Amino acid sequence: MNMSSTLEAGPASVDTSVDLVEHYFEKGWTDGLPVVPPTREKIDAVVAVLGGTPDHIECKIPPRWGALTREVLAINMVMAGCKPEYAPVVRAAMLALTDRQCNLNGVQATTHMASPLIMVNGPVAAKIGMNGGANAFGSGNRANATIGRAIRLIMLNVGGGRAPDLDKCTLGNPAKYSYAICEHEAASPFAPYHVEQGYAADTSTVFALAAEAPHSVTDHQCNAPEGILDTIASAMSTIASNTSVLSGHCALALGLEHARTIAKHGWTRHDIKSYLWLHSGNLFSAHSRDHRYGTVYNRNLPKWYKRGPDDRIPIVEGPDRIHLFVIGGDAGRFSAFIPGWGHMSTPVIRPVEDTAIGSADDCADGLCKL
Amino acid sequence: MLDDRTRTSVEIFDPRGVVDLESSPLADRKNTLSGLRLGILDNSKWNANKLLRGAAAALSDQIAFASVNYYVKTHGFSTDAPPEMISQIASENDIVLTAIGDCGSCCSCCIRDAIALEDLGLPTAPIITTEFVNETRLTRAAVGMPGLRPVVIDHPVSSITAEEVATRVAVIAAQAQEVWVGTRGDI
Repeated sequence: MNMSSTLEAGPASVDTSVDLVEHYFEKGWTDGLPVVPPTREKIDAVVAVLGGTPDHIECKIPPRWGALTREVLAINMVMAGCKPEYAPVVRAAMLALTDRQCNLNGVQATTHMASPLIMVNGPVAAKIGMNGGANAFGSGNRANATIGRAIRLIMLNVGGGRAPDLDKCTLGNPAKYSYAICEHEAASPFAPYHVEQGYAADTSTVFALAAEAPHSVTDHQCNAPEGILDTIASAMSTIASNTSVLSGHCALALGLEHARTIAKHGWTRHDIKSYLWLHSGNLFSAHSRDHRYGTVYNRNLPKWYKRGPDDRIPIVEGPDRIHLFVIGGDAGRFSAFIPGWGHMSTPVIRPVEDTAIGSADDCADGLCKL
Repeated sequence: MLDDRTRTSVEIFDPRGVVDLESSPLADRKNTLSGLRLGILDNSKWNANKLLRGAAAALSDQIAFASVNYYVKTHGFSTDAPPEMISQIASENDIVLTAIGDCGSCCSCCIRDAIALEDLGLPTAPIITTEFVNETRLTRAAVGMPGLRPVVIDHPVSSITAEEVATRVAVIAAQAQEVWVGTRGDI
């Protein structure tokens, strides 16, 4: 049996008297907000930016495993309100998310509230008008808002990740509407994130991390690295986050004022991440609840952790699993800690313009079927 | 091209993309379970080991397996078992029991592991909880093995008592045998 027959496309056209915004709602193809009704002209403009044929499959989106052709990508981008020039970023984000190690199938299906955080570096961010400055995680910027929204629409429509069916998320998360930003490279006192990861500064990249929402860190008092980072370590050290229970990766959105104070003392990215790693975490007695509810080992934490009551359980396995980027407005002594989903998903960084890696043709590990 | 004044219809664009998938049959069922090698795939979720070790003991009381081999997923309960682990299990066993699908991603991956093993010829019983029956139906259809049959036990699993584990173990032992011999009805 060929499963494509189970897709009921419905009529390919409707009378001009039909309210298209309402029609797309009725079809169940939105994220709950009105979409821009796609037109042939708008779709073609997006495909033209991507280049090549519209029926080329960029990747397949789990858990439904729908084929994301360039045209389908364009349809969802138009619906989200994207400009055509955002297309390379959306495509790169989808290729990052469908990299096997990212485990998008699990991210889509999980009862946890994780949603992919997309962070863009390099010249493309400014070129398309993304915001890494004031209110970067908030509303008001078309590129951030609609790139994140297009990714979510693809996860909903092509991936079939709709609650309560194939998305089993218990609580949801506002970041499941849109969660895309860029680093504020121009204002950051540190090298950009992608340069730290080995890319040239003039290469544009996307970084994808299955993440919780940002957790605010307020510190108006400390005027030296140790104090600010102790406050951030406090936010990292809860036993309630998935990162705490399941290790993996996490992110730190370091606000500009905090970043500048820390940099003034000569600290580097490596110093910051190492300090946070060394001084965050919890005692195993906290993780185990002193074995009050039965003996706890927690097989999801690394084997090499000691598990005596007074042993420290780091928040992640090492400093490089804290992904640090600098964002935000000039004023305000705030940062944000962003817990990840857990060791079941490894974040992916990839260049915006490189479409060779992780393409649908690369099925060596059987991912295309399973 | 018609202009807006004369156009009578407007094109609709389906944003879902095509699912193009050939569905696969189940592996051949077993006529008898005695003398077979039973593989146990533990996804490392809370209480999965208690359920699986309990079920393996209960089944071994009833059936003379040639061996019972235990495997634990290396990258957590919310990921697919690595292809090399699936190959190893397939080469060392005749039937498989795997748990536990008691969360969205765990259930999805349990079903996908089971389908990978069925594809390699091993009747496989994935254990899910009652809350994830519908997700199982959708996932097995999406991956292309609508005939897959799970073992279904009461939700929840991760925070239950030893007595509640024992009750679920009895259900697993009965339903798993039905899955392997092909008498288990649909969910």
